[in-house]
Amino acid sequence: MTTLLASTRPAPVRVPGAALGLARSVVRLHRSALWFWLLLMVALAATMLWAYGPGYGTASADVQDQCRRDIEACHFPGGPWLSRYSTAVALTTLVVAFLPLLVAAWAGAALVGRELENGTAHLAWTQSVSPARWLAAKLAVPALLVSVGTALLIPLHRLMWDGGENLLWTDWFDAYGFRSNGTVAVAYALCGLAVGVLAGLVTGRTLPALGVAVAVMFAITHLGDQYRPSMWPTVTVTGAASLSLPDKALQLDRGVITDEGVRIGNNMACTTADSSVADLRSCLAHNDLADVWATYHPQSHFWPLQLTETGIVLAVAALAATASFVLLRRRTAASGAAV
Amino acid sequence: MNRDGEGTALEAVGLGKRYRRRRGPVLQDCSFHLPAGRICALVGPNGTGKSTLLALAAGLIRPTEGTLKVLGTTPARARERFAYVAQAKPLPPQLTVAATLRLGAELNRARWDREAAERIAYGPVYANPYADPYGEESGSAYGDMHGEAAADPVPGVGPGVGPNLVPGVVREGGLHPRDRIRSLSGGQRTRVALALAFGKRPELMLLDEPMADLDPLARRELLGALLGEAAEHGTTIVMSSHVVAELEGVCDHLFLMGGGRIRLGGDPEQLLAAHTLLTGPARDLSGHTVVESHGTGRQLTALIRTDGPNSPPTDGWETAAPSLEELLLAHLRNPEAPDLFTEETGGTGTADMTDVTDVTDVTGEENARP
Repeated sequence: MTTLLASTRPAPVRVPGAALGLARSVVRLHRSALWFWLLLMVALAATMLWAYGPGYGTASADVQDQCRRDIEACHFPGGPWLSRYSTAVALTTLVVAFLPLLVAAWAGAALVGRELENGTAHLAWTQSVSPARWLAAKLAVPALLVSVGTALLIPLHRLMWDGGENLLWTDWFDAYGFRSNGTVAVAYALCGLAVGVLAGLVTGRTLPALGVAVAVMFAITHLGDQYRPSMWPTVTVTGAASLSLPDKALQLDRGVITDEGVRIGNNMACTTADSSVADLRSCLAHNDLADVWATYHPQSHFWPLQLTETGIVLAVAALAATASFVLLRRRTAASGAAV
Repeated sequence: MNRDGEGTALEAVGLGKRYRRRRGPVLQDCSFHLPAGRICALVGPNGTGKSTLLALAAGLIRPTEGTLKVLGTTPARARERFAYVAQAKPLPPQLTVAATLRLGAELNRARWDREAAERIAYGPVYANPYADPYGEESGSAYGDMHGEAAADPVPGVGPGVGPNLVPGVVREGGLHPRDRIRSLSGGQRTRVALALAFGKRPELMLLDEPMADLDPLARRELLGALLGEAAEHGTTIVMSSHVVAELEGVCDHLFLMGGGRIRLGGDPEQLLAAHTLLTGPARDLSGHTVVESHGTGRQLTALIRTDGPNSPPTDGWETAAPSLEELLLAHLRNPEAPDLFTEETGGTGTADMTDVTDVTDVTGEENARP
């Protein structure tokens, strides 16, 4: 038996680029996920391009055609093409807005949870790869693919979203639209990855990791939607200007100031006055009020809001990633540190 | 074999491990020393911490107390130099056998020996029946990495083995490169897991129940491969098992685990030489270290340590050498028996017995009463 092994031992070849091998191993283990991701990107891009071009064109021509024939259709546009177009827009927006949850579910369950559950993570750690470097690869390779994928979707979605303004009354501050139209899309997707990895490490099992990752990521996106208006200073105007806010402004609150100088929010008094100054004056005097005011985000706040939220969400992602490393280090002999 | 004593494969001092969900510690105050180059059997009943000890050595978990040095350093620093095969033989189920070996190559770039891995996975003869085992995905990296080694046609074919094996015939027991891991049986997975370990060309192999799932033929073949590896490269091999017979005659070092520590350690022959099986009329055995004694009426059979001043006793006892299985079972049945380590001192090879605990008389008397 021993003679079978009587071969000369080939000298170990030092190959640079161990990181490349590690990255390739991540892709090898998650090849089906990679294919799914690519297919999803292609499908989303194709649908959004269709909606932007032929979808919009056909729907808008159809609506105009109906309007010419029937005056009622001008006010209540409908028809199969419009419904197809609006479905395409709504569906792609929904998918892009909830991609972070999908990423989190995959990262928690397939990327980390399952590997810890069935022990293949430990298999990797007893090859020449330390747990810390294993985790780094698990974060870096998907992060690259997720960033590139979502970054490519953003401009396409913006094209589609802005193009649909006339037909669908899309708003820049719509929660799903906002999450799909700018840099926050990448930030949330990366956050989903980090949260998923952390959930996988904490639970160490596939299904709990999936549940925890999705729940936490849902909470994070919900909090983002909730506190988005406070992420950049708002604009407050008083007097007649508050009755006619700029076009496409996101109105947050409006109210009145009493003669005693008390500011009352969420009050619609005198808002029915037309924007002529005289009409407003008489209404205010009649109600013992000094002034009316309104707080809003003009459309020009889109990018400041996007970038602030991106920063905050990326910070959360970094926090989750750091927590993952700390957790792994505490559990295993992750690096060269003495036991 | 590397028996010069210059290297230490494993060294534990006061090692302890406690899991959160369990009440008691799995390992407690466990100290031992394993010289490099040994083929070591780690035996003991289920749940005595064999797997925990191996996982600690592999750096997968951290000890709650004490230290464990692997190849003279921490498990983390020694990571590239040892191989570990877990009891469950975890492998990515979605990969093929060939892809799993490629994974091994990617994760062990500096030391991967493709030939050694394939010999274990695809059968003992390297004359591979499949022209290109890596199929359409043949990685260019391999051509670069293994240049000559891969081109070498039939290395390592021993005389008398090669001629009757015609290339193109599926090897008995060997695996097909395109088999999916999830379609493999337990024993076949063990083969792939061992192939990964061999491919790493480690200085130390930590194998948790490596033979449990294997059929007798595969067991013979893979055990032979392990012995060959050890003989050729001085690889230290630590194999855990709860079947003593499985490893008898193979190992030249033995650790018996029990009560969260190593209770017997050393060369099996020296361990056997340190014990005597006595049979004779029942009588007082105080003054001797009695591991186990049981009597049938006036007849007494006892296993004692031959380390006392007048050991073994000559007066009227029939003495016999115990078998390894008898020795181990006697210790397992009697947790009170003191620990024993035989160690080689210097280059002389003489045994140096060390009683770790010195409660011999008490246990001796207690055990002597039928």
